[in-house]
Amino acid sequence: MPQIEFHGVTKRFDNGQEALAEVNAEFAEGSMAFLTGHSGAGKSTFLKLLLCLDQPSRGQILVNGVNVTRMTGGRLAHYRQHLGAVFQDHHLLSHRSVYENVSLPLRISGMREKDVGRRVRAALSRVGLLEKERLFPRYLSTGEQQRVGIARAVVTRPKILLADEPTGNLDPELSRDIMKLFEQFNQVGTTVIVASHDRDLIESMGVRIIELDQGAIVRDGVDARVDPRSHESAERHQTGLPDG
Amino acid sequence: MAEGATGKRRSKDPWPPVRPGLGAWWRDHLRIARETVHFVSARLGTSLLVWLLVGIALALPAGLFLLQQNLAEMTEAWDGRPGLTAYFDLDVDPEEIDAAVASLAAKSQVEAVRVTDREAALAEFRAFTDLANALDLLDSNPLPASLKATLISDVSLEDLEALRELADGLAGVAEVVVEKTWLERISDISTVVSRLGVILGLLFGVGAILVTATSVRLAIEARLEELRVLRLIGATERQMRRPFLYFGAFYGLGGGLVAAMLISLCLVVVEAPLSNLLGSYAQELDLVGFDPIFLGSLLLLGGALGVVGAQVAASQRLKDLEIL
Ligand SMILES: Nc1ncnc2c1ncn2[C@@H]1O[C@H](COP(=O)(O)OP(=O)(O)OP(=O)(O)O)[C@@H](O)[C@H]1O
Ligand SMILES: [Mg+2]
Repeated sequence: MPQIEFHGVTKRFDNGQEALAEVNAEFAEGSMAFLTGHSGAGKSTFLKLLLCLDQPSRGQILVNGVNVTRMTGGRLAHYRQHLGAVFQDHHLLSHRSVYENVSLPLRISGMREKDVGRRVRAALSRVGLLEKERLFPRYLSTGEQQRVGIARAVVTRPKILLADEPTGNLDPELSRDIMKLFEQFNQVGTTVIVASHDRDLIESMGVRIIELDQGAIVRDGVDARVDPRSHESAERHQTGLPDG
Repeated sequence: MAEGATGKRRSKDPWPPVRPGLGAWWRDHLRIARETVHFVSARLGTSLLVWLLVGIALALPAGLFLLQQNLAEMTEAWDGRPGLTAYFDLDVDPEEIDAAVASLAAKSQVEAVRVTDREAALAEFRAFTDLANALDLLDSNPLPASLKATLISDVSLEDLEALRELADGLAGVAEVVVEKTWLERISDISTVVSRLGVILGLLFGVGAILVTATSVRLAIEARLEELRVLRLIGATERQMRRPFLYFGAFYGLGGGLVAAMLISLCLVVVEAPLSNLLGSYAQELDLVGFDPIFLGSLLLLGGALGVVGAQVAASQRLKDLEIL
C-alpha cells in the first residue's frame, strides 16, 4: 500500500479558480519526489491539501490508508504532529530564539525537557546551526533561517516531510545544499515531497518529478535529463495523465 | 486527554498522539504558566489597567453585597425585638406609670416592659450627645419618663397597631413611637440594595467578562503569528487556547484582588460616619461579611469571569484563523 494516495483530487476555489483538477498520484513510504510547474500551477495547493490546511472540492487523499481530507480537532492535530513542513517564508517566530523555535513541536507533543534539548541539538547539528541556537531568527541570513525552518520540521522525526519552495530566495549554491539536506533525510527513510520551480536544480537531482500545469499532472517520472521537447508536448497536452 | 480516540481505534490509528501521558499535560501547563508570567510582566502597564478595570467592575456589586449583608444583619437583630416606646406627660402621676406598665405587660405580645424615669432619661441623654451642656442652661429636666415594651419577635402588624392604640389611650401617655417603621425602612433599603446588587452584579459581571475578553483578544492578535505556526505543527485547539485561558484567569484574579483592595478602602472611609449614623440603634458597629471566605470568593469569581472572557475571545478568534 502506498503511503500517500491522491484519488481524483480537485480543488476549486470560491471564485471559480480551479487549482487542482482530477489529480491522481501515489507516493511510496520512504520515496522522494519533486513537484514542479509554472507559477499558479497548483504546487502549493497540492501540499496544503496534504497538510489539511484546506479541503479538496472533490476526491480523496489517503495517508496510511486513512482519508485525511475531512479530519478535524484532535485527530487532525495529531496527524500534523506526524508531518514535517517547510515553507519559503519559513514561518519562524521572531521573538523566540533558534533553539526555542526548533523545540516548539517537541514541546507541543509534551516531551521531557532533557529529551527536547538532545533532539533540538541533533536537528540543529544536522543543518549545521548548532552554534547559533541562542540567536534570534532576524540575526540569521536567509539561508540560515531556512535551515532553522528545516530543523523545526525534522526535529520530531516525521515520517513525511513536505516543503514548499524551500529554496525560493536562495542562491544556487545554497539551494543545492538545502536540496542535499532533503535528500539526506530521505535516505534515512523519510518520505519527502518538495515543491520547486527551480527546474535546473531538481532535474539535476535524479529524483522523481511531478509536473503540474493548470492543476493537472502533465508529467510524472524519474528523468534526470532535461528534455525540452517532452516538456513542450506536455504543455500542449494539458489534461493528459501519464501513468506514474 | 485522549481526544476522541478509543483504545480500539488507537491500535489502528496511524497517527497516535505523540504526547507521552499525564506528565506531558503537566509540563504543558507549567510551560504555559511560565510563559504567561513572562508575557504579562512584559506588558505590565496594560495588565495593571486591565486589573483596575476588572477590579472596578467587581468592586461595585461585591460592595453592594457586603452592604446588603450588613443591613440584613441589622434588621435581623432588630426584627427579633420590635419595640414600642410610650412617652409620658412631664407631670405624669407615678401611679399612672404603674398602671400603664401593668396593662401593657398583661398583653400576650409583650415580652417585657422597662421604665425609664426622667432622671435616667437625662443621664442617657448626657451620655449620648454633645448637647448635654445645653441642658445645664435649663432650669428643669425637659425629658419625659418613658416605657419601652419589648414585643415577641413574630408580632403581626395588626397586633402592633392595636398595642399602639392601647398605649396611646392610656392615662398620662403623651406619645407612642413604634420602632417597626424604622425596621421596615431598613428592610426595604436592604431589599433595594440586594436587588440593585443582583442587577449591577449581572451588568458588571458581563462587563468584567468583556474587559478580559477584549484584553485576551488583543493578546491573541499580538500572537497570531505564533498561533499559525502552532496549528501548523499540530498543536491541538486546547493547547492553543490554554495560554489565553491563563491570561484570562490572571487578569480576573488580579481584578478580584483590586476589587478587594477597593472595598477595604471604602470600608475604612465609611466606617466612622456609618458608625455615627447607626450609633444610636446598634450598640457598636460590627461589620460582617468582609472575611477570608468573602475575599476568596471574590478572587475565585474574578478568575472564573476572566476564564469565561478568555474562552469567549479565544474560541471566537481561533475559529476563523487562517494558517497560510
Ligand atoms: N485562496 C484562494 N482563492 C482563490 N484562488 C486561489 C487561492 N489559493 C490559490 N489560488 C489559485 O490557485 C492556483 C494555484 O495556486 P498555487 O498557490 O497552488 O500555485 P503554485 O503552483 O504554488 O504557484 P507558485 O509557484 O507561484 O507558488 C493559482 O491560480 C492561485 O491564484
Ligand atoms: Mg506556491
